Amino acid sequence: MEPSSQPQPMMGVGSQPYPAAAPYVPVPGSLAVPPGSQPAAAFPNPTQLSAQHQMVYQQAQQFHQQLQQQQEQQLREFWTTQMDEIKQANDFKIHTLPLARIKKIMKADEDVRMISAEAPVVFAKACEVFILELTLRSWMHTEENKRRTLQKNDIAAAITRTDIYDFLVDIIPRDEMKEEGLGHNPIVGLPPAMGAPADHGSHPYYYVPAQQVQGAGMMYGGQQGHPVTYMWQTPQGQAAEPPEEEQQQSA
Amino acid sequence: MPDSDNESGGPSNAEFSSPREQDRFLPIANVSRIMKKALPANAKISKDAKETVQECVSEFISFITGEASDKCQREKRKTINGDDLLWAMTTLGFEDYVEPLKLYLHKFRELEGEKAATTSASSGPQPPLHRETTPSSSTHNGAGGPVGGYGMYGGAGGGSGMIMMMGQPMYGGSPPAASSGSYPHHQMAMGGKGGAYGYGGGSSSSPSGLGR
Repeated sequence: MEPSSQPQPMMGVGSQPYPAAAPYVPVPGSLAVPPGSQPAAAFPNPTQLSAQHQMVYQQAQQFHQQLQQQQEQQLREFWTTQMDEIKQANDFKIHTLPLARIKKIMKADEDVRMISAEAPVVFAKACEVFILELTLRSWMHTEENKRRTLQKNDIAAAITRTDIYDFLVDIIPRDEMKEEGLGHNPIVGLPPAMGAPADHGSHPYYYVPAQQVQGAGMMYGGQQGHPVTYMWQTPQGQAAEPPEEEQQQSA
Repeated sequence: MPDSDNESGGPSNAEFSSPREQDRFLPIANVSRIMKKALPANAKISKDAKETVQECVSEFISFITGEASDKCQREKRKTINGDDLLWAMTTLGFEDYVEPLKLYLHKFRELEGEKAATTSASSGPQPPLHRETTPSSSTHNGAGGPVGGYGMYGGAGGGSGMIMMMGQPMYGGSPPAASSGSYPHHQMAMGGKGGAYGYGGGSSSSPSGLGR
């Protein structure tokens, strides 16, 4: 409805300010152009989604495999170095660890009665190798998180990932283990198989040594037993990285 | 040298009476020095990481010692020697450690033997005890066959028992899992190496074991 009573002095057509014909001129009504509804085609089709996910998965798998190979190589070099160092050892009076302290720790067990002189000497070397291997495995976790300082949670990660360190589980706090992502699969939507070695199948090695004793026995036929074990365990540790970073940021 | 130990149980004198806590761990300086050898030059180690490794090493010593002590008790021996520790490491999953340490122990015994040859007076007491220990060990291995709860001892003479013992890897630190059944898998190569090194007594007792 157009208000006809509204004057338009600025729009005088004739000489008279109020022409009688003005109200009779029909002003064309406003043609409301209906807004063109554009069809929403922003949703990607399943084929593209699947392809993208597959690409991401393949890239992640390749990264994990390369990481495993590097770390496995590091461990092989570690054991070769140990063998070479021992072959060159000729002085048994200088030890990197005090024999008296080792003996005291051994005697802490009430069942231990007498200890031969060679036992602390063997332990001095064994503990050195143990510290070196544990530190090396811990440092791998430090590098994965792009840090240069070895922290307690790196040691916790190495203990969690390595089966022969099961006896150390009580030493690390439970929250340190949670950071490692135990008990849940952090990558949602991706297949659970993260490039695990074929000879391991789908059997987890965490905390179920009884069921895998025979298989483990076959695995340990050579010195490559531990690298193989570790090679399988790396993907899970790597998979736990995202929530770990989030937790670290929140902390 | 204050580090030289005698075999008579060892004196219980504590270096620091009040900080008893430190006696349970190896010195953090030694541990830290070894850790740095495994890391790049520009790597840093937090203090709590060093302390954690200190605890881990003590746990490692107690873990291996406990297993070796159990073995000595089963065989009715009183003294834990180097071979017992190597056996315990094999049993508890540290197979990778045994080959380097066997070489290390072998060289140590060679040097001890040289010292005995050079100065027979100072090294007199030690060699006879070691010689006595080895045949005793092999004898008890034969006897331990039927008595021992582990399947690895079943139906084996002294020599072959030792071979199976060295070659039988058991996974993780769970003896119950090992005792639940006998596993025929054993690496002959490892057994052969065992015979080559400090198991001369085992080799000599093998014929008698088979004969019996």
